[in-house]
Amino acid sequence: MTRRWGQWLALVVAGAVALAAGVWLARPVPPSPPPSGAAATLLGVALPDLNGREQALRQWQGKVLVVNFWATWCAPCREEMPAFVKMQRERGSEGLQFVGIGIDDAAKLRQFAEEIGLNYPALVGGYGALELSKTLGNTLVALPFTVIVDRAGRIAHTQLGPLKPDKLAAIVGQLL
Amino acid sequence: MLPAPYAAARSLVALALALVVATAAGAQELKLLPPEQAFRFSARALDDRTLEARFNVADGYYMYRDKFRFDVDPATAGPVAPQFPAGKMKDDEFFGKVEVYRDLIVVKLPLPKAAAGRTIALKAESQGCADVGVCYPPQLQQIRLELPAAGKGPTAPIEANAGKLPWQQ
Repeated sequence: MTRRWGQWLALVVAGAVALAAGVWLARPVPPSPPPSGAAATLLGVALPDLNGREQALRQWQGKVLVVNFWATWCAPCREEMPAFVKMQRERGSEGLQFVGIGIDDAAKLRQFAEEIGLNYPALVGGYGALELSKTLGNTLVALPFTVIVDRAGRIAHTQLGPLKPDKLAAIVGQLL
Repeated sequence: MLPAPYAAARSLVALALALVVATAAGAQELKLLPPEQAFRFSARALDDRTLEARFNVADGYYMYRDKFRFDVDPATAGPVAPQFPAGKMKDDEFFGKVEVYRDLIVVKLPLPKAAAGRTIALKAESQGCADVGVCYPPQLQQIRLELPAAGKGPTAPIEANAGKLPWQQ
């Protein structure tokens, strides 16, 4: 019988180790949470659009705001944008608003915006906007970086790297 | 009662399953290197009129040929005429054909005239991305090299420190 208990003990220990390993491996490693006030900083930003008109982000407060930092020299950024265009078209009327902040010169941003039929504002950020993204949790200062702000003006999600359409739909669906 | 080897095998299966589930959940998060570790830049002088830049690219990262810029300080020692190795052509929907590098990039940088014994700062601008779908902005780095006497060299390679971003200049 001792032997049988030994086997059960081994099974229990293995299970516990597996569980601990699972918990440890699955623990979320979120991008550094934006400090309080980061949302206010973001909403306080005003940048020129592709026509040179200054656009304050605060004008979209009250909507679910998806702010996407991107550049034409960033292929993964360009690849995820058609899905944003589609979602803006389908759910804009529910109060969803995408805003792109381009780390690039206006001519290149405009060329790409026309190519994909961008249907949401593209603001011209330059490298200074990358510094802004850093204060929002983009510690590696890489692209694409996306910040989702809820209707109350709180940051609900930040994401470095591509935002998969189903994940984006799930997050946005809860906030709308 | 189960024979011991069978029970042990079952424990192992349980462990393996738990690990698979956990890893799948964890894989959602991107693990990324800071750019100076993803693209490790070092340089040396081959002789009194030739510099060499090396970029060691970590697995899963790549760099763009047309984003490299090399410059020397003092400017009177230049300009350098970089000799790039052949990269891999990649079709880019927006930019057309672009040349990318992986693993190791060795760029030869001949100076217009010999500068034996002089100290020259090699400035490099570079840009790359990770396969997981992230790109880094251009990095500006600098390495100070002491050129050897005529007929001597190469010097020991020197690793660059973390780069600056264009707006930090």
